[in-house]
Amino acid sequence: MEWFAFKAGDEYLGIEVQYIHRVVDEVKVTPVPLVPCCHMGLMYYRGEVFDVIHVGSLLGQSERVYNGNPRIILLKWSHKKLALVPDLMVGLIWIDDSKREQTPHAQGEHIVRRITPDEIWSKVSELPYGPHKV
Amino acid sequence: MDLTKYEKIFTQESGKYLKDLDDLLMSVEKDLINRDLWSEIHGKIHSIKGMAGALSMERITKLSHSMENWCKEFQQGTTEATPNAVQLLLNGADLLRLLVARKGEIDSLENKSWYSSLTASLAKGLEEAATQLQPEKPSHSPARSMPEEIDQVRVAYSLIEELLGLSQEILLSEKTLPTLSQEHKTSGLKTWIDHYTSLLKDLYFRLAQLRLMSVADFSDLFLKTIRGLAREHNKEVRLEVIGGEVQADIALLERLREPFIHLFRNCITHGIEPPDERVRAGKNAEGRIILEAWRERDNLFIKVSDDGQGINRSAIGKYLKDKRTMEDEQIARMSEEDFFNTILSTDFSSARKTTDMAGRGIGMNVVAQAIEYLGGSMTIHSAPSKGTELLLKLPVSLSIMHSVTFKVGKYTLSIPTSDVESIDRGGPISPYESEPLYDLRGLLGVSENGGEFSYILKLKHPREKSRYNSKDGNIELGVDQIIGNRPLMVMPVGELLAKARLFAGVGIMENGDVSILLDIENLLGVETSSNR
Repeated sequence: MEWFAFKAGDEYLGIEVQYIHRVVDEVKVTPVPLVPCCHMGLMYYRGEVFDVIHVGSLLGQSERVYNGNPRIILLKWSHKKLALVPDLMVGLIWIDDSKREQTPHAQGEHIVRRITPDEIWSKVSELPYGPHKV
Repeated sequence: MDLTKYEKIFTQESGKYLKDLDDLLMSVEKDLINRDLWSEIHGKIHSIKGMAGALSMERITKLSHSMENWCKEFQQGTTEATPNAVQLLLNGADLLRLLVARKGEIDSLENKSWYSSLTASLAKGLEEAATQLQPEKPSHSPARSMPEEIDQVRVAYSLIEELLGLSQEILLSEKTLPTLSQEHKTSGLKTWIDHYTSLLKDLYFRLAQLRLMSVADFSDLFLKTIRGLAREHNKEVRLEVIGGEVQADIALLERLREPFIHLFRNCITHGIEPPDERVRAGKNAEGRIILEAWRERDNLFIKVSDDGQGINRSAIGKYLKDKRTMEDEQIARMSEEDFFNTILSTDFSSARKTTDMAGRGIGMNVVAQAIEYLGGSMTIHSAPSKGTELLLKLPVSLSIMHSVTFKVGKYTLSIPTSDVESIDRGGPISPYESEPLYDLRGLLGVSENGGEFSYILKLKHPREKSRYNSKDGNIELGVDQIIGNRPLMVMPVGELLAKARLFAGVGIMENGDVSILLDIENLLGVETSSNR
């Protein structure tokens, strides 16, 4: 099976490719007020609006650095969708099916930890939104 | 009163009913004793009659009434349908089509004679009329030998999304256009590019409108389910649609599909009584479910009501006592809203026995979750033996809405133009002005309250008079920069931002840029005003 790997802070993370809708760049992210700092804003892509999340700051791994046109991973799974901004894109890595449940997975000199879209969603959903953010 | 709008709706809706009527009559011709089909045929004719009656189109009302009487007998099984009777009804459908196109008027002697002979045949006893020769149709009548004009095609929704995406990408490619030299500009290239871009924007907006679906089409998705459920529970049920012409984003309606199955199931399983019980209670044997839709400001309202027995209050009372250990007195003190909202609890069920789907206590909870996801709200009203009404208020679905778009700090925000009274140049905050001025920078956490605003948006907000203690009900917002009054394609706010309860939708500008539609009512509710 294949994972799409990326870096958030010092950590390498992998998401099963079946959840990757697309990887895009040159897309404008519009900031939204009163949201958690990992929520970079909204992006409109091919008729759909995505919440853009900086993975590093969501996981407490890295500070969000403003980048006008970041490379973005679009996830779509079971009626949900998210756009993720990693600190570094790695790309596709092949995981032996027999070791699929094994995480973290050693990839060359890096250790890649598997993360599911639901885990990310759950973390993003738990954060406070609204006026108490001010 | 200008009836033109209603006549247009009538023509559109009747056209659809007549198309269905043709299909149904041709199906029933092969299965003459199929009472479900006769019930559907009856329903279609009844709907046309109802609308024509409201518009005083007497010929249509009279003809459809006669056709309806026949259908009722076939539906109840008191008389057996014959192929001749079906043919007569098909002729009736043709005549209705002609009359609908002419707003109920007859323009030739030939058609007048057709109308007279057909209504006379229908008025006769079924046996006599169904066996005699058919009244002759005028040669130029809308005959079935001529296939209908192709004015609609069925297209996969995914293709529309794809086209919309592609047109957006082409539109966005304008941003990567290299800087034009003076030579290019004078050669007319810039004019050509501007024209090309303008055409693209138009194309994009027209494609965006393909994402809209009428509530009438949405309701059609449930006809079979309703018929099947009614049959399963030995009940007679008819779905009536009011405001079928109202359009909403397919994505929003798709989200409502499953909840609506639960709503209709509840109406049929728990609300509408069996025919004999209804007759004993002085009601029509056939229960009615009414789906009504309308737009108000930036909200879509959908009301689902039935004329059944109402929500089982004792079941709610029992649940509150058993599961929430509430005393009778506490229950009696509950507001109607809180009391009925109990049915939205995950473990609530009023069913005496569970079936495949009903009585498992999941239905209304699914509805509540979906409405919450869409950032909407639901209110429940119910009266014993009169029925139940659920009113869904949903934030803007995808639609094109003119909005005033402005900047506050780094944020691009919008308010529907219809809510804006005026835009004035701003200035420093003065403590002597009586109008309540809201500092959006402060409200949105951009900076400390105070300072100068470049522009002041004066809003129309009559509903907020008492709440914000303003003499004429106007509210003023201080903003940094006005981008313009422009059309936005409005989409529902997602699950995450809906939690903030401050955003009414997400607006997409013609160039693909995003703007956030503010829910002013909620936003101003979270902070007190600062008087300048």
